[in-house]
Amino acid sequence: MSLNPSMNTNVASPSSFRFSFSVAVLGLLLAATGCGRTPPAYFRLNMVEATKQRLSPDQERQVATILLAMFGTPDEPVALPETGLDLAKLKLAAGPVRSDIAGRKNGLYREHCSHCHGITGDAMGPTAAFLNPYPRDYRPGVFKFKSTERSDKPTHDDLVRILHNGIPGTSMPSFALLSDVQIDALAEYVKYLSIRGETELALMRAYFELDDDAEGKLPETQEFLVAETLVPVAEKWQAAADARIAVPEMPAGLDLATSIAKGKELFYGDKANCVKCHGPTGLGDGQANDYDDWNKAIVEIGKEVQSGLAKAGETSTSGMSADEVAEHRAQLAWLDRFGDVLEGDALRPRTIPPRNLRHGIYRGGRRPLDLYYRIHAGINGAPMPAAKGTVPPEDIWHIVNYVLSLPYEFDGELGADRTLVAQGR
Amino acid sequence: MAAIRFLFVFSVSICLASGCRPARVSVPAGDAEAAGKLRATLVSTPASGGQSDAAAATGTGWATLKGRFTYAGTVGDPKALVVDKDTEVCSKGGMKLFDRSLLVDPSSKGLANVVVFARKTTRVKNPVPETPLVFDQKNCEFLSPVFAARVGQPVDVRNSDPIGHNTNIAGSSFNQLIPAGAGTVYKPDSETGMPTMVTCNIHPWMKAYCVFRKDGYVAVSAADGTFTIPDLPAGEMLEFQVWHERSSGPSGAVGLPKPELKWTPKGRFQIRLEADEVKDLGTLDVPAGALGS
Repeated sequence: MSLNPSMNTNVASPSSFRFSFSVAVLGLLLAATGCGRTPPAYFRLNMVEATKQRLSPDQERQVATILLAMFGTPDEPVALPETGLDLAKLKLAAGPVRSDIAGRKNGLYREHCSHCHGITGDAMGPTAAFLNPYPRDYRPGVFKFKSTERSDKPTHDDLVRILHNGIPGTSMPSFALLSDVQIDALAEYVKYLSIRGETELALMRAYFELDDDAEGKLPETQEFLVAETLVPVAEKWQAAADARIAVPEMPAGLDLATSIAKGKELFYGDKANCVKCHGPTGLGDGQANDYDDWNKAIVEIGKEVQSGLAKAGETSTSGMSADEVAEHRAQLAWLDRFGDVLEGDALRPRTIPPRNLRHGIYRGGRRPLDLYYRIHAGINGAPMPAAKGTVPPEDIWHIVNYVLSLPYEFDGELGADRTLVAQGR
Repeated sequence: MAAIRFLFVFSVSICLASGCRPARVSVPAGDAEAAGKLRATLVSTPASGGQSDAAAATGTGWATLKGRFTYAGTVGDPKALVVDKDTEVCSKGGMKLFDRSLLVDPSSKGLANVVVFARKTTRVKNPVPETPLVFDQKNCEFLSPVFAARVGQPVDVRNSDPIGHNTNIAGSSFNQLIPAGAGTVYKPDSETGMPTMVTCNIHPWMKAYCVFRKDGYVAVSAADGTFTIPDLPAGEMLEFQVWHERSSGPSGAVGLPKPELKWTPKGRFQIRLEADEVKDLGTLDVPAGALGS
């Protein structure tokens, strides 16, 4: 008789309750995770450096604005002519993954690289923390595997080679299935992220160098931003092609066994000193508690924060003037903030083991030439020093031959003084 | 029961969907409008070529700046370093190596290894020296804990030990093997800003600092705390930067309560010198709290 609609709910069955509960759950899930458009990708500011340099929020904002002006966004890259970068290549690599009107794949960096190297090239992609070694952070502008001197940038071809071959022994795969045009675009984009990152570092460090009358603001002039900041970074990339190491031919008519024996002597000798780090068996078990430059930077900041907090804990504010108390509090706030920044913007530092030379895995390439480059110039960013200048080229070739023979050396040939160590492994 | 199960699934899904990674500090976004305007000025050609904001020379003649750093705080016994490699050379005859980051002369309280350098100068008197500056290592220790050189000046990096070392200058890409009894010459090609660390990766306790300046107006305080910078351009406002390895100030800057020199917490002071003047700043006492652990 009653037309009261509530009648129906009064007799609601358990199944309809479950249904409405499900709707509620779904609604809440959507509300919590967001069902709107994904916000556009953005470059993340180098918060470790910004905090290290004690930049104010206004200064951080100024750096972000300058970088936006000079380099654009991950979806809309900008390349000032001074960078020497090819914008058409960058556009192929930048932006979300999509196809253009000609059916060409765009957004290559986001598709293939960003999950490890990060949108910003800061090696903070979602998978980065799970990889060993960590992916390369492009922002300091330091690259390991190249045909140029230690202090020079890699050539474009060096980057293409790494993309093509991958890096054996690491998580970096080969992208040989991509077309040459696509690999070329990605190499250009890596340079773009690196130039952007190095410019960012230079800008953040420039605040400390400001004169007091600048009132903590960088001059937004072409002179300062382009000529003094961008050009020194970009020029090094442009000079790389002419900075290749001149490698003399391996001495002709060289008997391989003799060369290997000479190389072995150098390996253990005081001149080349390879044994100190790579170990008496070549297993990479010598000096093993060192860090590479990327990790060392975080280790040192960590130490500074720890000792700062310890010192602050011992300091009593009684007897301090109002100014000193304010300074003390500011210091504590900075230390706390640094802790928060390191939590989200840096990975836990790891030591860098010297390479185990008996695996026959050569990260920078397995050609004798690649090993020559590594020994001649050392490995930039890593503890591996350069032999150039103190070890003549002919000796470097002997070491190359010995190192290439190590994976195949029989235990019995290690020599009586070293067999014990070898057996222990 | 069903409701509990739902709640469980619900909370797990929320966690999965929103991510459980540590929160990252928020970063400020750039101002798009300001960036657009700035970009327009950066791509346009400069109004006038060769325009430079370098200050013109305002004086003539040369002058000398001197002073002496002292440290009022207590200096504990120096910490022995952990020497665990090549002990037959590095701990020869029970020899110990000590931390040298805070060296204070017990009698005069003089503070060694304070670096003082001019930030900007308009004139330079002397050409870049061509005689090499020797930077040696012996008994697994760098013989100069802190050293200064001019950009372009040859630095003879030597090794007087019977074992091999490597010398790694942070931020410079110089990292060379230095075989036993050998050496190599390095010419710094750019300024360091604040002093940068020199290490040996083979012997991780080995540490020194170096500073490279284009104009060479830089001094490192001696064991008694004294320093002298000669041949400075007279008649212009000079700004100096002061650094010490153990300073708790930003980037190692040493701030002193010296308002008459406009000494800032960034470790900078200003002074104008007259021609042929030998200005002695006297005793510069670094307060106990200024040098950290």
